[in-house]
Amino acid sequence: MRTLLALILLSAPAFAQSGFSATYDPGRTIKLSGPVTRIEWANPHAFVYVNVRDTAGTITNWAVEIGNPLDLEDSGWKSSAVHIGDILNVDGILTRDETRQAFAKSVTLARTGAKLFVMSNKSRPAITPPTPRWPDGHPRLGPPPGKTGYWGNATAASLVEHSAVRPDMNDEGLLRNLADADRVAPFQPWAKSVYEYRQRTLLRDDPLTRCIPAGGPRQFQTPHGFQFVEQPQIGRILVLSGGGDRNWRVIYTDGRPQGQADEAVRTYYGTSTGHWEKDTLVVDVVGFNEKFWFANGGLPHTEGLHLTERFSRPDLNTLKYEVTVDDPQTYTRPWTGGWNVQWVPDKDIDEYFCEEGYHSKGLYGQN
Amino acid sequence: MKRLLAMLALTAAAFAQQGHPLTGTWTGDWGASPTDRHQVTFVLNWDGKKVSGVMNPGPDSVTLSSVYVDVTSWTVRIEADTKDHQHIAAEGHIENLGSYHRTLNGSWHQGAANGDFRLTRD
Repeated sequence: MRTLLALILLSAPAFAQSGFSATYDPGRTIKLSGPVTRIEWANPHAFVYVNVRDTAGTITNWAVEIGNPLDLEDSGWKSSAVHIGDILNVDGILTRDETRQAFAKSVTLARTGAKLFVMSNKSRPAITPPTPRWPDGHPRLGPPPGKTGYWGNATAASLVEHSAVRPDMNDEGLLRNLADADRVAPFQPWAKSVYEYRQRTLLRDDPLTRCIPAGGPRQFQTPHGFQFVEQPQIGRILVLSGGGDRNWRVIYTDGRPQGQADEAVRTYYGTSTGHWEKDTLVVDVVGFNEKFWFANGGLPHTEGLHLTERFSRPDLNTLKYEVTVDDPQTYTRPWTGGWNVQWVPDKDIDEYFCEEGYHSKGLYGQN
Repeated sequence: MKRLLAMLALTAAAFAQQGHPLTGTWTGDWGASPTDRHQVTFVLNWDGKKVSGVMNPGPDSVTLSSVYVDVTSWTVRIEADTKDHQHIAAEGHIENLGSYHRTLNGSWHQGAANGDFRLTRD
């Protein structure tokens, strides 16, 4: 079962934004067969609808989620892969409630036996080009001159304190074993209790699934990537999010001092000032509000959250991200975690919008 | 009107506070019976070591003398003394811990009066 869940989660990274575990129960599976009545190729989740006849002859319409359209298109699939009236055989996972909805583990076109909507595995090029640089020698965090590209998937599902043994988690930041909570971060007792509550309830209250901005480190974990737009002539770097609510953040590099945290207008992204230490961009961030989760998995924070982020680019394809979390109201001491992010060359960020009120109640807001 | 209510509901969701579950403004009432109710507001704050706060902010505000929280069960005990020297002891439990409309309900003792209280975090 663990392998199955891992495979499912790996096959659709957009789950990290959509609350897969809160919506679907991997322990409940179903086989569906019937003609397609509707195709809904829309962000953040593509669906095909099939009419299924039971043994008594009663026909019911089922919604079958097949993944995120952007990921499907990256794997070469289009909505035209299936047509109204095609007979599909679906091997699926049921929702946690009684909704007639399933997540497709496999979809087969009955007429030909062809497997549909299979995600491809992309391998990285064997030769990695060097770090692109500005004339002053600083690494470029965006594309090389004349090129396009953006930063894609993170190598870690959640933010965890650097340690010898990383606790086992799925792609939403759900621990396999809740007893490992103490290995995630040095929680204050209240924060551990809140974190465990969020884990036990399968992250159902995650603000990101309601399109609330993903501030803090989570900005660099959200599906559909992010982009740096560097403006050295005016001393700032913009960070554009490809996923979530497609928001943006400013890092000032013009030498201005960080403002007083207690006077800040608190926001989802805080106020960021950055400077270069050799090849590493060091960013100081304060002034966060408390309306979001700053990492997958439900790590809590307060307005006292202070982040020190370190960005470096050892080669064209790799962004190393490291963050030190200092929030004495939530954690017993400062702690550090991070991950790498992979460069997606020769492409711009796909157009993706998280919209409030998306139709699936399982995905958006049951409280 | 339905559309307005829907918009307000969305707004409430968008402003959900995700930090310490007690921090913020709680409003509701207490009383000895369902018909004998007294409106009450608490403003609570977690400073990293303890929760402190005031009841009914304004000219008649009462500074809370203690707020005890058991974070394993999310049981909360609040004590205070009013300006006319009535001791208040309220003990309740947070429900829907992860929800933006979490509640704190329990028993209320003020002077010689006993009753219950119901609070919702704004």
